[in-house]
Amino acid sequence: MTGIYMAIVIFYAAIPCSFAQQPGIKSFKLLDDNEPFKINCLVKTNEGYIYAGTTNGLYSFDGIRFKKNNFLQAGMKDTVTAIFEDNNNLLWTGFKSGRIAKKIKGKLEYIEVEEGDSKVAITSFIQDKQNNIWFATNGEGIYYFSNKHLYLINTENGLSDLHVRTLALTSNGDVLAATDQGINICRLVNGKATVNVIGPKNGLPDYYVTSIAAAGNNTYWIGMQEKGFCLYDHSSGKITIPAAAQSWSYGQVNELLVSQKNLWIATEENGLLKQSGMNSPAEFYNSSTGIQNKINNLLQDNEGNIWMSTATALIAITGNKLKLLPVYSPEVFETIHATLCDYQNNIWVGTDAAIIKYSFVNGSYTEKKYGFSSLNSKTDITSLYQDINHTIWIGTMGKGIILFNPETGQSRSLSENPLLQNASILAITGSSNTVCAGGLEGVAMIFNITGKNKIITEKYSFTNYNDIENVGNNYIYSIYKDSHGRIWFGTDGKGITVLDNGKLTTYNKTNGLKDDHIYSFTEDKNGNIWFNTEGAGIYSFDGKTFKNYTGTDGISDLKITALKTGPLGNIILVNKNGLDILNPERGSFSYINNKHGIGDINTGMGSVTQDTAGNIVLSTLQGIVMYTPVINAADHPKTIIESVQLFLTDVDKNVKGNFKYDQNNFQFNFTGLYYTSPDEVRYQYKLDGLDTGWVLTRDRNVTFPKLQPGTYKFHIRSSLNENFTNADEATYEFVIERPVWKRPWFIILSIIILLALAYWYIKRREKQLKKVQQLQQEKIQFEFEVLRNQVNPHFLFNSFNTLISYIEEDPAMAVDYVEKLSAFFRNIVNYRDQDVITLDEEMDVLKTYFYLQQKRHGKNLVLNISVSEEEKKLIFIPPLTLQLLIENAIKHNAVSKETPLEITIDLENKNRLVIKNNINPKISREPGTGTGLQNIIKRYSLLSKESVIVKNDGIHFNVILPILQKLY
Amino acid sequence: MLKKPIIFFCLLILFSSNVSAPPVLYGITSGSITFRSDAPLELIKAISTELKGIFNAEKKQFAFTLNVNSFKGFNSPLQQEHFNENYLESNKYPRASFEGKIIEDIELNKNGLYSIRAKGNLTVHGITQERIIKCELSIKNNVVSIKSNFTVLLADHNITIPKVVHEKLASEIKVEVKADMIEK
Repeated sequence: MTGIYMAIVIFYAAIPCSFAQQPGIKSFKLLDDNEPFKINCLVKTNEGYIYAGTTNGLYSFDGIRFKKNNFLQAGMKDTVTAIFEDNNNLLWTGFKSGRIAKKIKGKLEYIEVEEGDSKVAITSFIQDKQNNIWFATNGEGIYYFSNKHLYLINTENGLSDLHVRTLALTSNGDVLAATDQGINICRLVNGKATVNVIGPKNGLPDYYVTSIAAAGNNTYWIGMQEKGFCLYDHSSGKITIPAAAQSWSYGQVNELLVSQKNLWIATEENGLLKQSGMNSPAEFYNSSTGIQNKINNLLQDNEGNIWMSTATALIAITGNKLKLLPVYSPEVFETIHATLCDYQNNIWVGTDAAIIKYSFVNGSYTEKKYGFSSLNSKTDITSLYQDINHTIWIGTMGKGIILFNPETGQSRSLSENPLLQNASILAITGSSNTVCAGGLEGVAMIFNITGKNKIITEKYSFTNYNDIENVGNNYIYSIYKDSHGRIWFGTDGKGITVLDNGKLTTYNKTNGLKDDHIYSFTEDKNGNIWFNTEGAGIYSFDGKTFKNYTGTDGISDLKITALKTGPLGNIILVNKNGLDILNPERGSFSYINNKHGIGDINTGMGSVTQDTAGNIVLSTLQGIVMYTPVINAADHPKTIIESVQLFLTDVDKNVKGNFKYDQNNFQFNFTGLYYTSPDEVRYQYKLDGLDTGWVLTRDRNVTFPKLQPGTYKFHIRSSLNENFTNADEATYEFVIERPVWKRPWFIILSIIILLALAYWYIKRREKQLKKVQQLQQEKIQFEFEVLRNQVNPHFLFNSFNTLISYIEEDPAMAVDYVEKLSAFFRNIVNYRDQDVITLDEEMDVLKTYFYLQQKRHGKNLVLNISVSEEEKKLIFIPPLTLQLLIENAIKHNAVSKETPLEITIDLENKNRLVIKNNINPKISREPGTGTGLQNIIKRYSLLSKESVIVKNDGIHFNVILPILQKLY
Repeated sequence: MLKKPIIFFCLLILFSSNVSAPPVLYGITSGSITFRSDAPLELIKAISTELKGIFNAEKKQFAFTLNVNSFKGFNSPLQQEHFNENYLESNKYPRASFEGKIIEDIELNKNGLYSIRAKGNLTVHGITQERIIKCELSIKNNVVSIKSNFTVLLADHNITIPKVVHEKLASEIKVEVKADMIEK
């Protein structure tokens, strides 16, 4: 039986290929004044930012450049040896000096602890389950902060060595410390630290532990100085040494990183190693791939890229995402039109007249070539497919399908249908027991595979759909059987036909499809069918409606070679230059392209395949490329507002801003963190409150000068293309207050104050007018009083009696007396309409009046005036005040030899005029209105702030008049 | 009978090894401890000069101790009574101590000023807490002077204060230690 159908020349060759190379290595140098410096540690923040601790301080790295994080105090410099971000997103930095700083408002600040600082370098931080911060030192042991105090774990607590390389927190809350003398398990019990040492006695291959990396399930990879690495199970205490580390020859392990079930190992002398599983050999990234052999630190970014630091640079590799297998030469590439990854993950390619198998054996790829005599350079192999019996179906141009058993090497032409004899096959697909073949000349066959077909000579049962109406019967690009058993036919110009429960439905331009040339199908995890067209992008179909994705949605190239559903549910579009990866939930695209070091992808429809895990396998000029999506990896930029600046000075971006009207010049610095291809990121910003709408930009800052008072919200979002649907957005809210004079309360208050002022002014004026009026009235009244007094009969009788006595005795005196009397009345008339007169003038009146009175009373009436002449001229007084007071004194007191009346006028303290007389009350009182004194008091109250004081102590009667300095 | 000389010999070796590297012991000649409770309503300050202690320079080990009821200078005799009877229970726990080891290496034969840290067990009120205490150490002509300020949290030592005096007694007590030591 063997060989009957074999068409068969078998070449055999076993060519060991070199280790897989890593496409897309990116290297960044840290320079200051062109002086390179060393990276000591790398850390990724919760936000995804990469920080590097260097001999020149702390740097953040956004994928394009390094930015230095300065100390609060200018000019401060310290070598960073450890970085850590705690659960509250507070960044801790440990220094070579032993000191520790926190990053507060963008600046580093040393923390001061009562217990004092460590004197040796800080090597590592962790935060335990009680949120205590621990840090390890190189020479003093391990410190931890707990309840306001700093505690030290050192040899007295049982720590085996004071040189601690790194710390790790176990899932049960213990702290693992890597020391020069084994692993130390530290645990706090009732505030007391206990230490258990895992050393060579417990099976640890090496004393000197350099690194620890969590491997899940409370197990930890342990990196060592001499003996490579091992797995430590913290639950059982068991240590397992993987086969790859049994006879370790790669020197000191510096750091370990677990990613996608792979262990990445940074070594001191042999570059970076990738270890998959317990036993499989390591892959290398070292000087042969252009990377220095001494790798210090490792880190995986949120997109799955792996970063490492060497002495002079920060280097990114695509990590687990891409693997290049340079298994063939460019000449072979030219002939490849189909690829296949078989059930054992061997890779097959179809060349002109042969298929080649590449298998990974003992750390390298070997190739095996199987040739077919019926084929030649013109009968291209268009498609390769392996069915459930492991039979490989080879679709050809012009020679139909060849069946090939890879185990036995048997093959035969599929001749069950004469149509296949010289048919040209475009695509072979299938699922479980079905194989679908589409092609030219009306090939649209579905084969039913049974166990019998394990022997390839067994006949296959099949159905040919070429005679079914509406199926484009000449050109079937692809036939696809979905998970519901529906069969989809993609035609060249007649749209899609689906066969569902014996019922045929066709969708084409009349159903809204923009292009009726359908190339290939795939089904996503929700059962939606996806297909790509010749020039209108891709469509998804949920059973009811078609959704179209084109260039504006982010497809980089509408010439799509193949459409696949990736292992994480992404829809993967392959074009000549790369992969467009659609996240169906978000509707956003990310890209794998020349930025990752891949390109020149085979455009044969059958040249894209998937391995057993669903990873995408491509044929490129450089070799076979495998794309493995990274679980939980970010496929879009993370939008971060880095700083908000007011007149170029940072403000706190985490709290809502409140600014004065003249604090109106804002700059927003932002980034769409996407380390994979930072230069592809573009931004849209919008400022609510300033009606701009979304503005597209490539810049990473925007300035708003002279913002008017108001409430604002700044929105920034980033995307890898111009499709911003579901893009990650960051916002900053702030308020610019209106100036005081524009705020309602101020305006209202101002009006109230103005009204009050006006009211007060009016009231005051009114009062003043009233006062003037009153004064006028008082004056008139006073004048009237004085006149009435002086023309009152007593005064005149007395004066006349005195005069009569003089006329007889001394006529000359009588004449003098009459002259004085006349002068007195003239003065009264003269001064009556004046408000005030000088004291001097008043004294004149007074003296005249006194002369008249003294002539009557003789020596029994005494007037003493002790006011100097100068003072008299400076002091003002309402006219006739003193005259009235003296008149009152004479009127109310008996003047006799026994009871003389003594009146004194005195200037007291230069500000009060005191009129004083002794009291000898008259028994019979002269009639009078008694309003004289009242009138004086009233007049003074209008002229002066001080009031007239009247004092009567029974012996003396005092009237104290305030001095009027100025004319009213 | 033969065994005795062997034991004797062993002891001799043991001692002679001690003799060949004699421990440099320092003892306190004068020392004081001041504590300060800075509560919103009351400032309490008391001092004890009865600090005793010993320091082994070779092993970097030390032990300081003090009689709790030797504190003087309270605001009132009643306060002192409360301090001794209610809070520190000095009848039950008469001594406070700090013993441990210096973290840094120091050279005691050189004059100078050093900032050092001591890790040890602080016992107050019968409760022992492991603490790191920062200390200024100056050496001048073989006299070792130490000066240190640190904080004692009452809660750390199970010293409970009634709610009524919360405003009068701080939960953090500031302690200042000064001592001069000379070679013994």
